[in-house]
Amino acid sequence: MTTIPGMGLVRGMGLTLSRFFQPKATIMWPEQQADVAPKFRGRLQLLYDEYGTLKCETCFQCAQACPIECIDMGGMDTRGRFHVHWGPAETYGERREESAARRSGRPVADATFDRFDAIDLAAVDEVLDAHDYDPKALLPMLEQIQAAYGYLPVAALKQLSRKSGAWYAYVYGSATSYRHLRLEPPTVAAAAPAGEAHRAAEAGYLASLDAALSGKAGA
Amino acid sequence: MTAATRSLRQVATVGRIVIPLLVIFLIVAPVATVLVAQAIGPWLISVLNSNIGILRFVVAITAILLFSIPAAFIIIYMELKVIAYMNLRVGPNRVLPAGAAHSVVAGLKVLTKEDFTPNSADRLVFTWAPVLVFLTAVMTFMVVPFGPGLVGAPLNIGLLYLFAVGGMTVVGLLLAGWSSFNKYSLLGGLRSAAQVVSYEIPLTLSVVGLILLAGSMSIDSIARQQSGWVWDWFVFRQPLGALIFFIAGVAEANRTPFDLTEADSEIVAGFATEYSGMRFGFLFFAEYVNVFIMSALIVTLFFGAWNAPVDVNWLLHLVGVGPLSIAFDPGQLGGNLVALAAVVPLVVTLVLAAPFYLLRPEKPVWQSLLIGFLLLNLLLVGVLGLSAYVDWDWVAGLIWFMVKAFAFVFVFVWMRGTFPRVRIDQLMGFAWKWLLPASLLNLFATALAIILLKSAGIN
Amino acid sequence: MTAPAQPQQHPSEDDPRIMLDGQVGQYEQVPPYPPRTEREAEFYTLGDGEMFLNMGPQHPSTHGVLRVVLKISGEKVVDLDPVLGYLHRGVEKLCENSDYHHIISQIDPLEYVSSLFMEWAPVMAFEKLLDVQVPRRAEYIRVLTGEMLRIASHALFQGWMALDLGGLTPILYSFIERDEIVEALAALTGQRMLFNYFRIGGVNGDLNHEFMSRVGDWMSRALVQHEANIGLLNENEIFVRRMRGIGKVDRDMALRMGVTGPNIRAAGVPFDVRRAHPYSVYPELEFNVPVRGTKDGGDSLDRYLLRLDEVRESIRIIDQCLHEMPDGPVMARMPRLMRPRPGRAWAAVESPRGLFGTYVISDGTDQPFRFRVHDPSFVHLQLVGMLMKDNLIADTMAVMASLDPVMGGIDK
Repeated sequence: MTTIPGMGLVRGMGLTLSRFFQPKATIMWPEQQADVAPKFRGRLQLLYDEYGTLKCETCFQCAQACPIECIDMGGMDTRGRFHVHWGPAETYGERREESAARRSGRPVADATFDRFDAIDLAAVDEVLDAHDYDPKALLPMLEQIQAAYGYLPVAALKQLSRKSGAWYAYVYGSATSYRHLRLEPPTVAAAAPAGEAHRAAEAGYLASLDAALSGKAGA
Repeated sequence: MTAATRSLRQVATVGRIVIPLLVIFLIVAPVATVLVAQAIGPWLISVLNSNIGILRFVVAITAILLFSIPAAFIIIYMELKVIAYMNLRVGPNRVLPAGAAHSVVAGLKVLTKEDFTPNSADRLVFTWAPVLVFLTAVMTFMVVPFGPGLVGAPLNIGLLYLFAVGGMTVVGLLLAGWSSFNKYSLLGGLRSAAQVVSYEIPLTLSVVGLILLAGSMSIDSIARQQSGWVWDWFVFRQPLGALIFFIAGVAEANRTPFDLTEADSEIVAGFATEYSGMRFGFLFFAEYVNVFIMSALIVTLFFGAWNAPVDVNWLLHLVGVGPLSIAFDPGQLGGNLVALAAVVPLVVTLVLAAPFYLLRPEKPVWQSLLIGFLLLNLLLVGVLGLSAYVDWDWVAGLIWFMVKAFAFVFVFVWMRGTFPRVRIDQLMGFAWKWLLPASLLNLFATALAIILLKSAGIN
Repeated sequence: MTAPAQPQQHPSEDDPRIMLDGQVGQYEQVPPYPPRTEREAEFYTLGDGEMFLNMGPQHPSTHGVLRVVLKISGEKVVDLDPVLGYLHRGVEKLCENSDYHHIISQIDPLEYVSSLFMEWAPVMAFEKLLDVQVPRRAEYIRVLTGEMLRIASHALFQGWMALDLGGLTPILYSFIERDEIVEALAALTGQRMLFNYFRIGGVNGDLNHEFMSRVGDWMSRALVQHEANIGLLNENEIFVRRMRGIGKVDRDMALRMGVTGPNIRAAGVPFDVRRAHPYSVYPELEFNVPVRGTKDGGDSLDRYLLRLDEVRESIRIIDQCLHEMPDGPVMARMPRLMRPRPGRAWAAVESPRGLFGTYVISDGTDQPFRFRVHDPSFVHLQLVGMLMKDNLIADTMAVMASLDPVMGGIDK
C-alpha cells in the first residue's frame, strides 16, 4: 500500500500502458511453429534408415517398458517374419480395453487368431498344465512346445501368454532371444528373408566405399 | 415456345408462382409509386413541413439506432485488441488486417446461434428483458449532442431525462436476472439493482454543482458554455465533481472494477448466464453502448463536449489567414470548374505515380498508376475533410467529440485490463461512505463559491 | 365399455435423481440423496431465507473440477461443502501395480502444476528402500529444477489469485514468466508439464547446453521481471483491501489441521521440510524460511505475499546451485529390475503447496506392496469450510485461491 491513496492504482495503470507498447509474446501459430525440444517424447514415431527401411526390429523392448501398456507391436521384422497384428495403431482405445481385459484375467476375444494357421492347441495346454501355468518356467515350456510342433507357432505363443498371464512381450522376447528356438517352420526358414531386398544395394554401396577408401571400409 | 417460357418450365413450382409475381411487382411498384407520389405528394410535403419536429425526431432516432451498432462493434474490437496488447498478446488478427472485422463476425455468429429459453424461465419477461436493456441504452443517446446541432432531441431538461432513462437500465437487468430461473442470474440481477441504485445518487449529485455553474439543465447549453480554450472546460472548475462522475459512471456502466453484475469468477455471467443467441447479443451490445454513453457524457459535461481544445478562429486570426472557406468554395469558379475537374485528377495522378514508376521501373505501369490514383483519392479526402472542418461547425464538432469520447472508452478498457474487482460490501460502502459525502461537499462548495462571487459582484 | 384409462404413471416417479414437473422449484428443500451423516443432514437443512448455490464442477474459478455447495443467505455464505472426487483415478492402486520405475510416470500428473516434486518424494523413498547413494551432481540438478518449478508454480498461483479476484492481466504475465521456466525444463527433460525426469538413483540425462543458456538468460532478468509483475497487484488498493482480513488461519488451527507449506508459514509457524527434515543438498545451501502473519495467524494477503517471498528465496537457491554445481555422474549404478528388500520407507519433500510425502512398503518383488501418498492440497481444502463461515461469496474465491489447492492431488 502506498501512502497516497490511489497511487497503487495509477502505478498499475502505468505498468499496463507500458506493456501496451512492448513486443508481444504470442507465438503466431500456425504460421510460426513452436519449438519442440530435441528430447521431446510426446509422439511415438518409428524411425527409418537411409534405405527407407523401418528401423524397428519388433523387439518389444518399448512395449515392455511402457508403464501403461499403451504400446503394442506388429508387422514385419527385418528378417521378414510376420508376427502379431493386434489391430491398426489408430485403435488405441480398443486395444486398451483388450489390455484391461487381459490383465483382469478374463479371456479376450482375439481376432488375430484367425490370421494364423489353425493349429491344435492341445499340446500347448498339456505343456502349460505340466508346468502349473507358471511363467517362471517359460524357457522349458517354450522348448517343449517347439518339440511338439517343430517350431513356435505364434498362436501357441499367444495361448501361452493368455493362459500363463505373462505378457506377450515377455514370451515373444524370450522366444526370440534364444538361438535354438525358432518361430517359423523349417521350410520357411530356408527361404530368403524379405529384408534381403535392400542388402544388395547396401553391399554395392559398401563395395564402392571400400574401393574409395582402399579397403578400409569393411573393417 | 419462347425462351422465357422454356426457362420458366425448368424452375420449381414455387418459382413459377414467385417469378411472375416478382415481374409484376417490379413493373407495378414503380408506376404505383409515381402515381401515389403525384396524388398525395403535395399533401405529404405539406404535412411533413408542418410536422418538421416529428420528422426530425424520426430521422434522429433512426440515425442513432444505426449508429449504436457500429459504435458497439468498434468498442468491442477495442476491448479485445487493447486488453490483448496490455496482456502482451496479439489479440484478434484473422478477419481483415489486424482482425478489424472480428467483432462484426462475432456479432454475425451470435445472430446464427440457437436462441435458447430455459424450461422454467418466465418466457415473456425473459424474451423482452434484453430489448428493454438495449432500448434504454439507446434512448439515452437522444439528448447527447454529437456536435453543434447534431442532437436527437434538444430538450431543455436534457440532464434530467438522461438520468431518468439511464436509471431504467436496471429494470431490464433485474427482469433478465429474475426471469432466467437461475441462481447466478438472480444474484447478478440483484447485485446490479443494488449497485446502479446506489451509484445513481452520487452520479446525479456530482452534476448538480455543474448545473449551478452553468445555470441550465440543457446539455446543449452546457456544451456551448465550454467553447474556447482548454481551460474553459468544466473539469477545471469542477474537478471533484468530474472525478465522482467518472467513478460513478464506471459503476453505472457495470465496468471493471465495479463489474460485479457479471463477475465471471463468482457468479459465472450474472444476469446473462442463461441467455444465448441474439438475446445475449442485445445484452452485450447494451453494455458497450452504455460504455460509449458514459464516455460521451463525461466528455459532454466536463471535457468540453464538441469544442476543440484550442480556439481555432483566434489561431487563424493570429497567423493572418482570413476565413479559409472562400478558397474551398468551388461555386465562384463557374465554368472553369468543369475544366478543372477534368484536368486536375489526371495531372495529379500522373504526378503522384511518377516517383513510384521511376523508383521501381521493373514493376508494371498500372501498379504505379493505381498507387497514384489512390494517393490522389487520399489527397482529395484530406482536402475535402479540411474544408469541411473549416466550413462546417458540425464536422469539426463531430470529429472532436468522437476523438474525446473514444479516448475515454480507451480509459474504460484500460481500467478493465488493469484492475481486479471490488467486493459487494466495499462497493456499497464506497458509494455511501465516500462518494455521497464527497459529492455533497462538492455541491456545497460550488454553491458557496457562487454566492460569494455573486455577492462580491464578480460574475 | 372399457374401464377409464389410468392416468399415465411417470416411469421415474420413485427415482430421486429425476425431477418431475411438479417438483420444479421444490428441489432446494430436499437434499440430493438421503443424508448419510449428521453433518450432511445438518448441511442440507435450509434455514430461513437460505438457499444452495452449486459452484462447480464446471465453474470458472474452482481450480479444476471441484464442486462446492454453498449455503447462502443473500450474499453471505452460511455454510459450505466441498465435494471431491471428480479427478479420482486411484493413483495409489495404479502405483501398487506398477514397477518401481513406472511409478515415476504414474504419479507425475498428480499435481500437474509442480510435477517434479511428485516424482521427488517416491524416488527418495525408493532410494531409501534400495539404500542407494545418489551422486551429488544429480542432487544439485534435482534442487535446481525443483526450485525453478517452485517459482513457476508460485507465478501461476499469483496469476490465478488475480483472475479469481477479477483481474484479467496478471495471469498472462504469470504464464509468460512460467513459460520461460517450463521451456527451459523442456529443453532438459523433453516435456513441458509432466517431466518424468527423476530416476531412482539420479536423474534422466545431464544438463545440456540449451537448458543452461535458457536458464542463464532467464536468471539474468528473473528478479526484475518478477518484481515488475507483482507491482501490478501488490500496490493495488483494490486487491489489498479484498485480501486483507479474510480467511484468517490462526496458529492453533493450522497445527491442528496439519497445514504445511506456505500456508502454515503465513500463519506464523516457520515449518519448512527443507529445514525441519533436511533432504537432498538443502543443508548445504543458504536460504531463509520466510514467515509472515502475526500471533493471531495469517490472512489471505499474508499467504499471497509469503509465496512472493519464497520466489525470491528460490532465485537465491538457483543461483547457488548454478555456482556450486559439482562435476560427476548424474545416475548411480542401478540394476534394471529392482527388487528391494522387504521393508518400508517414508520420504517427504517441500512441494510448492507444502509437505508432499510418500510411504512405501516393499515385499521383495518388483512392485511395491503398498504405496500411499500424502498430499498437502487435500489438507488445505479442509480449511475452506472453516474459513468461509459468514463471509461473502466473492471471498470464497479469494480464500480458496489463496490456499492454492490443485485438484489432481486432492482427488488422487
